[in-house]
Amino acid sequence: MMISLRRMNAILQKDFKDFSRNLAVSTVLIMPIGLGAFYGRGGVNSIEAHYMLINLAFVMIATFVQCCLIAEEKEKNTLRGLMLSPASTTEILGGKSLLTFILTMITVSITAYLADYRPANIGVIVLAFILSSFFYIAVGTLLGLFSKSVMEASVIVMPVVAVFSMGTFLPTFVDQYPFLKMGMYLPNIQLIELAVKVEAGGGFGDVLIELLIILAWTIILCMLTAAIYRKRMVD
Amino acid sequence: MDNIIEVKGLAKVFGNQTAIEGLNFHVKKGEIFGFLGPSGSGKTTTIKILTGQVTPTNGTAVVFNQSVSQLKKPEFRSRFGVLTDNSGLYERLSIHDNLKLYCELYNIPYSKIDEVLDTVNLKKEKNKRVSTLSKGMAQRVTLARALIHEPELLFLDEPTSALDPTNSLHIHEGLRALNAKGTTIFLTTHDMQEAELLCDRVAFLNKGSIQLLDTPDKLKKRYSDSTITVELMTEEKVVLPAGTEGADRLFEYMNTNQVVTIHSNEPTLGEIFVQVTGRKLA
Ligand SMILES: Nc1ncnc2c1ncn2[C@@H]1O[C@H](COP(=O)(O)OP(=O)(O)O)[C@@H](O)[C@H]1O
Ligand SMILES: [Mg+2]
Repeated sequence: MMISLRRMNAILQKDFKDFSRNLAVSTVLIMPIGLGAFYGRGGVNSIEAHYMLINLAFVMIATFVQCCLIAEEKEKNTLRGLMLSPASTTEILGGKSLLTFILTMITVSITAYLADYRPANIGVIVLAFILSSFFYIAVGTLLGLFSKSVMEASVIVMPVVAVFSMGTFLPTFVDQYPFLKMGMYLPNIQLIELAVKVEAGGGFGDVLIELLIILAWTIILCMLTAAIYRKRMVD
Repeated sequence: MDNIIEVKGLAKVFGNQTAIEGLNFHVKKGEIFGFLGPSGSGKTTTIKILTGQVTPTNGTAVVFNQSVSQLKKPEFRSRFGVLTDNSGLYERLSIHDNLKLYCELYNIPYSKIDEVLDTVNLKKEKNKRVSTLSKGMAQRVTLARALIHEPELLFLDEPTSALDPTNSLHIHEGLRALNAKGTTIFLTTHDMQEAELLCDRVAFLNKGSIQLLDTPDKLKKRYSDSTITVELMTEEKVVLPAGTEGADRLFEYMNTNQVVTIHSNEPTLGEIFVQVTGRKLA
């Protein structure tokens, strides 16, 4: 299948203009950045604290913002126009994810930098961030497709925001409540495990398992999202 | 093949609500086909089925010689255009930016934007944000968007419902020009005058099924009661029945130079609709 970058770019351009005029959603970017600056000044410096913030940034931008953008396209019936155009599912969902991806990478980087997080191996961490953002964007897209309006979306997305940002503390409770062990395979926890290994001097080969688990989540979520999208195209 | 749309036994049930049942019709390539009915009669549902947005419960719908389930394929989607109640616009963007996106999606040059804005009479407003437009203006933008790629087949769901008469007339002209260039138009409306002016053939839809289907002209002749109305010098109007009685009286009026005008009394499409369905168009 041929993918038209021109179409995806057109959707990105449109989204950028629209987003910059949408203060209700665009101000969300300020929150993690502000928290990052606050952490940095407070001298908080454990890896868990950093990742509580980084995971929050991921979920607020990649999931929350994406969910709102998709829900608004549904609410205003503009997604229908895209669906009826010759653009393919990949072009539409890919195009719709580009802006969120760029915003996520920028926001997460600034947040981490302000919080004084300096990873021992930047290459591995960037790769892990890219994979993670794909996962969070897919979750946001999926939830957006299930919502009929932006209002509904912002309610549906809240439990997910809570799980992935608060989930950072999951490992602390696992000894007490063994049933939580399953949760250790969540991509946000895997990201922390990966970061801990990287700080201990681990390279690419040492974190392959964590990367693969995050990748597996991403692939499953993307496939699920594409399937739901195709189903939602027809009543 | 001459038919661009072929529909056989088409039905759609939403839950326990029957939207359409047993529809049979075809649309010929190159015609303007009117699909008329009061609200709730199933017009929008039919368009949504024909554009692959709704799956029918029963029956077959063929567009471009393909079952409608095939319309999901991108190569078919560039061949039709559609305007329905669920055609939304990006409200924070200008008219121009909305159409620019569609130029890219359909792979057509930006020069089309001015051309199509001319058709819908919005050239001067092209840099206005959609959120500042009136309902009628927004409707004209969605219309512009539906026809910007000059599709082979255009579905228009009540395209002039929010427009004033001047703009409606301007749009009718544009649609006729597009039709002359080869676009087949499937038009729903509850405006009988619009249908009479534009359509080559019309179907009357009531409660989900087609009651009548023919050219406006033939329908009028068929439902004509063959009376004529004569206006006299005295400004009195008299209705004369067909046959020798009417002919004798007309002869008398003419012979005494009393006649100002003579009209044959064909019914309007609206009157025929009421007669056939017992319902007024809302
Ligand atoms: N998505 C839907 N869910 C349930 N009922 C629907 C849906 N769409 C249409 N209907 C029902 O189907 C009937 C026909 O609707 P519609 O096709 O919109 O008529 P029209 O466009 O002629 O006004 C109406 O009774 C309407 O309530
Ligand atoms: Mg309708």
